[in-house]
Amino acid sequence: MTQQRKWTAIPGLLVLAIGAVVLSAYSGASSSQGSAPDQPIAFPHPKHAASVEKGGLGLNCLYCHNNANRSADVGMPAVNTCMGCHQSVMGTTAAGKAEIQKLWKYADVANMGKNARPVPWVRIHKVPEYVHFPHVRHVNAGVTCQTCHGQVQGMPKVYQAASLNMGWCVNCHVNGYDPKEGMKAAGYDTVTPARYAGGVPYGTAGSVAGIMTAQVSAISRDTEARVHSAATPSSERRRARYDCAACHY
Amino acid sequence: MTNDTESKGVKRRDFLKVLGVAGATVGTVGCSSEKVGKLIPYVVHPDQTISGVSTYYASTCRECAAGCGIIAETRDGRTTKLEGNPEHPLNKGALCARGQSSLQGLYNPDRFRGPMMKQNAAWKAIEWDTALALVSQKLGEARSRGTAANSVFVNQHETGSFPGFLDTWLAGAGMKPHLSVDFEADGAAIEANRRAYGASWPKLSFTDAKLIVSFGADFLETWGMSVPQQLDFADARAKIEGAPRFIYIGPRRSLTGLNADQWIACKPGTELAIANALAGNGSIADAAAKSGVAADVLTRLQQELAAAKPALVLSGVSSANALDVATAVAAINKASGAVGTTIKTSEGTTAFDGISSYAELVAAVERMRAGQVPVAFVRGVNPAYNLPAAAKFADAFAKVPFKVSFSLYPDETTELCDLVLPDLHSLESWGDADAGKGTVSMQQPAMDPVFTGTRATADVLIQLAQKDPNTASKYPQKDYRSWLIGRFPGGTSAFTAAVQKGVVAGSVAARTSTAAPAGTAAPQPIEQTPGDLFLVTYHSSVLGDGRGANKPWLQELPDPVTKVLWSSWVEIHPQTATARGIERGDIVEVTTASGKVRAPAYLYLGIRPDTIAVAVGQGHSSVAQLDAWDGKNEKTHPVQWGYGRYARNLGARAHDLLAPGANGAGGLVLTGTRASLAKTGDTEILVSTEGSARQHGRGIAQAVPIAELLKPESREHAKEEKVPGAPTGAFLPGLRSPVAADAQGDLGSPTAEDKGKDKGMYAANHWSGMARRRWAMTIDLARCTGCSACVTACYAENNIPTVGAAWQNATVYAEAKPGFNVTRGREMNWLRLERYFEGANEGEWTEDFEARFVPMLCQHCGNAPCEPVCPVYATYHAPDGLNVQVYNRCVGTRYCSNNCPYKVRYFNWFGYGEPDRKQYAFPSPLDWQLNPDVTVRTKGVMEKCTFCVQRIREAETRVKSEGRDLVADEFTTACAQACPSRAIVFGDAADPTWSVAGQVDDRRAYHVFEELNTYTAVVYLKKVTHAPAIPARA
Repeated sequence: MTQQRKWTAIPGLLVLAIGAVVLSAYSGASSSQGSAPDQPIAFPHPKHAASVEKGGLGLNCLYCHNNANRSADVGMPAVNTCMGCHQSVMGTTAAGKAEIQKLWKYADVANMGKNARPVPWVRIHKVPEYVHFPHVRHVNAGVTCQTCHGQVQGMPKVYQAASLNMGWCVNCHVNGYDPKEGMKAAGYDTVTPARYAGGVPYGTAGSVAGIMTAQVSAISRDTEARVHSAATPSSERRRARYDCAACHY
Repeated sequence: MTNDTESKGVKRRDFLKVLGVAGATVGTVGCSSEKVGKLIPYVVHPDQTISGVSTYYASTCRECAAGCGIIAETRDGRTTKLEGNPEHPLNKGALCARGQSSLQGLYNPDRFRGPMMKQNAAWKAIEWDTALALVSQKLGEARSRGTAANSVFVNQHETGSFPGFLDTWLAGAGMKPHLSVDFEADGAAIEANRRAYGASWPKLSFTDAKLIVSFGADFLETWGMSVPQQLDFADARAKIEGAPRFIYIGPRRSLTGLNADQWIACKPGTELAIANALAGNGSIADAAAKSGVAADVLTRLQQELAAAKPALVLSGVSSANALDVATAVAAINKASGAVGTTIKTSEGTTAFDGISSYAELVAAVERMRAGQVPVAFVRGVNPAYNLPAAAKFADAFAKVPFKVSFSLYPDETTELCDLVLPDLHSLESWGDADAGKGTVSMQQPAMDPVFTGTRATADVLIQLAQKDPNTASKYPQKDYRSWLIGRFPGGTSAFTAAVQKGVVAGSVAARTSTAAPAGTAAPQPIEQTPGDLFLVTYHSSVLGDGRGANKPWLQELPDPVTKVLWSSWVEIHPQTATARGIERGDIVEVTTASGKVRAPAYLYLGIRPDTIAVAVGQGHSSVAQLDAWDGKNEKTHPVQWGYGRYARNLGARAHDLLAPGANGAGGLVLTGTRASLAKTGDTEILVSTEGSARQHGRGIAQAVPIAELLKPESREHAKEEKVPGAPTGAFLPGLRSPVAADAQGDLGSPTAEDKGKDKGMYAANHWSGMARRRWAMTIDLARCTGCSACVTACYAENNIPTVGAAWQNATVYAEAKPGFNVTRGREMNWLRLERYFEGANEGEWTEDFEARFVPMLCQHCGNAPCEPVCPVYATYHAPDGLNVQVYNRCVGTRYCSNNCPYKVRYFNWFGYGEPDRKQYAFPSPLDWQLNPDVTVRTKGVMEKCTFCVQRIREAETRVKSEGRDLVADEFTTACAQACPSRAIVFGDAADPTWSVAGQVDDRRAYHVFEELNTYTAVVYLKKVTHAPAIPARA
């Protein structure tokens, strides 16, 4: 093979390689991890969800995303949920006031809500159509929201913290979910339970990690107690069902 | 490395340039491939709804006159699935294919978006205020001229308060009561019932009968109340011991006829002679001579009828003497003491009360022709399509100066109107219906209107009345809902409570029946009509009188008898066809005195050789010249006249052949003329899903004679001696097949923590508990009637695309022919109904043959042939007994389908689920119906029955949240839920408390292709055949 031929043949192979990359880009195998799109309203999660010590209000995630423990879809808060507070809470900073004014426009306060419109939030976390992810199963198993979504209570602008790739899913489904790690991911190991970001008070019946769950397993409750106890026993990993048809159908 | 810059090859520098550009391209693609999705919340969150969790609304189905109770599953404001209401006294939870398809009427892409007016032959969208002012003005003009009373309001026949409400409104506007028209209703049977039993439709009790004799009454199809009748018939036949024998008399074996144990094929119109002979008003010899049936057959029928008491004799003939037959049959029933036992006059339905006859409609049409009618209103009826061509409806209708249609769809009649005030669909509007004596079925909207420009006709009528100073005081109500509440005992709170249940004790505002006018001229006697073959026309069991033709699910549903879809056909007996040189698929021309139609020939054993048959339902057409819909030309044809894109110019319109004239009860005569048949020389591949009509000894549909089951030794589950190594035939709960047990069991990973002691996820004691359950299904062929409701239920539940529309073919080498994909075997019916014939040599004329129906779906084999051949492990066996297809793993080799002995795997040849392709099967808003729990499959993947895995997961999630275990029969699959014969039972075969566990070991149980050791999870129970008690020619 002459040198010239080499420079002819390699591009051929490279075209194939590029084709493979393009295909892979379209296949959804690549992750949009880290993406942080602009939102119609620059909603400050830290202000609402961070613990009081960190300057937040300590609202429960489920206060707004109120379907997470009872539906596959987590649900976005209705405009009137926002207006429940922001009818009177008008903001302190100029920037904050401007954003709340945007909300008022959506709620159409000027016309008594006659032409109110929903806020078109830009979606950040999305699994492909052929994946069925039921939030309710995970929340009720005591998986903290932050395990998958990152510490949203500290994100001025929400971004996709985890890759949401299949390998990432299967990591827990094969090796097991460690409730202790989940608490750590939420940042709950460093604060007292009463100061969980957006939590109901520690010890509230039926709650784990500040989230009211429909059914709390004994393991989750124990773990929560152990995280804050002096002795930390070896974490109990909980392996979830590992079967393609659990999610793909 | 060379320094030769003059060489002809690509130089390194050039190469790097190319690489740079390519890299940039990749980068761009990588960033822009993700579409930005939006999360749209509510403005105000509705109470008691959770996004992602279905809400269920009880309502009433309006697809036929029966008015079955339905539960509409609504997710995030969109109705996605209809199921029967288990609390409803009529359908007890079952729902037929047409009822299921109501959703595609709701989301039909060809629905009117708002009111339209015809101006200078062009249609223009107008405002509601303008439209209502126009109607008020025209009504006012008619009143001032004193001709208002001559106006005509034609409404679809429905039970409930609306007909009475409408009559009151019409009276207020100075008009006569409306015409309540249902072309499918058997006017002769209704009239005979009224005369003989004093009730228009008594309850027919099949379970109490010892013998069922039907004179052309297709009670499993369009005759009467099909779902309640089918439920009762299946219960009767499933009794095994004491199950009634069923004899069908008629020139053509319909679906109901195919379910009969014996067929007596008489000449059309001669049922009367047979009925009279049975009633003792004539001799058997005379009846035999007239009907062309052997005298000993009739003698045995007479003897059997005399011996089996009580019997149930039904009449549903469609010939000119229908009323006489029905009267004679009523006399037989009365004489045999059937009244009160098999015919329960006190428990009937009022579904057919207040119905107007065909003759009344024809009389109104004649008044139009005479120019007497100033204003005509049409709602839910399509007389321009449904009246015989000989009635010349269009000419008469054109003489009406102002014509208003309330139709939802651009049908033939609406195209002739001047104004369209599009009604709401029944799933968007309020109402009520009679649900049998003493109960009311409530109808409530399951969702907001799909098109905000449409309005409920009842509300429009109230708004019109409020505009008129004379009637305004009578209508203080805001809308029809308020009107309904106003007359509801107990007021708003009782109404709200009733709506939640769907059924409540009470009665609807009855309509005063209109007096039937003197019958129009009877048609010419059939023997005197020109032609050498009798012509039978009948309402399609799938498309009804044609109203189903705009719903792709119904177009894609093979006719249960002929398995033809997306097409019309002419049924010809093979003997006749051979004599005339006609083969299957040859285009033939059928000519009568009234007109002619062209359609492909279908060679059918179940029709007399001197008779041909054509189904009613296809052949919709428009007056406007429209290009064929190609999937894209929405801009050029905003209104799809001719009953929408799915119905227009498809098949032949059988009404063109019908002779004018009515039967004694004023009903339309569907079998009243002879016809001549000519071969045109054209031929086509008949669009059909029928493979071979014979089993070729494969034992797919097995049957057992009742005598065998009644033998004392067979009452216990007698185990036969088997050859060693042969399958046992017993159902094995849990996963026992050798291959699957090995898959992760004995060969479990030695590196695992438990060093392979854990037998893997297939082991019953695996920590995950995944193999605890064994999902299985039984299908009782003694119950199955082949009605195909399960097929449509499966389409609705599983987002199955319809592929038969003309434009859904390939882009290159396209042949824009309806059903082309089906002729290539590309239909996607996960669950299909196979129909096999037993007996009767092909081409030979005999009445003595049997039909067997087998719902065929993925058998979820424990030892599945599809699994080992998949190179990418896209199909595998789940530990709970499902054969799983993972769409995102599938690369489309189709090896699995090739290796499947049941041929139940279907391949996505085109992007039926991709909106930007012309093959897209769900043009908006049909896509609103898509089940959000099921993946919409893309091009190039294999798919098949999943045992409704989404329902299994939903149930698992629910019980987990509620902290309990699944209870027996807690949920079921879509097919089992819909089945109006209750033939399908689904559940956990490993748990004895589930119903299915009790059936898998039934003495009639068998596996299809058991010899292949597939260890199927679908178990069939053999059909039971009933030989005549009196042997032939003893």
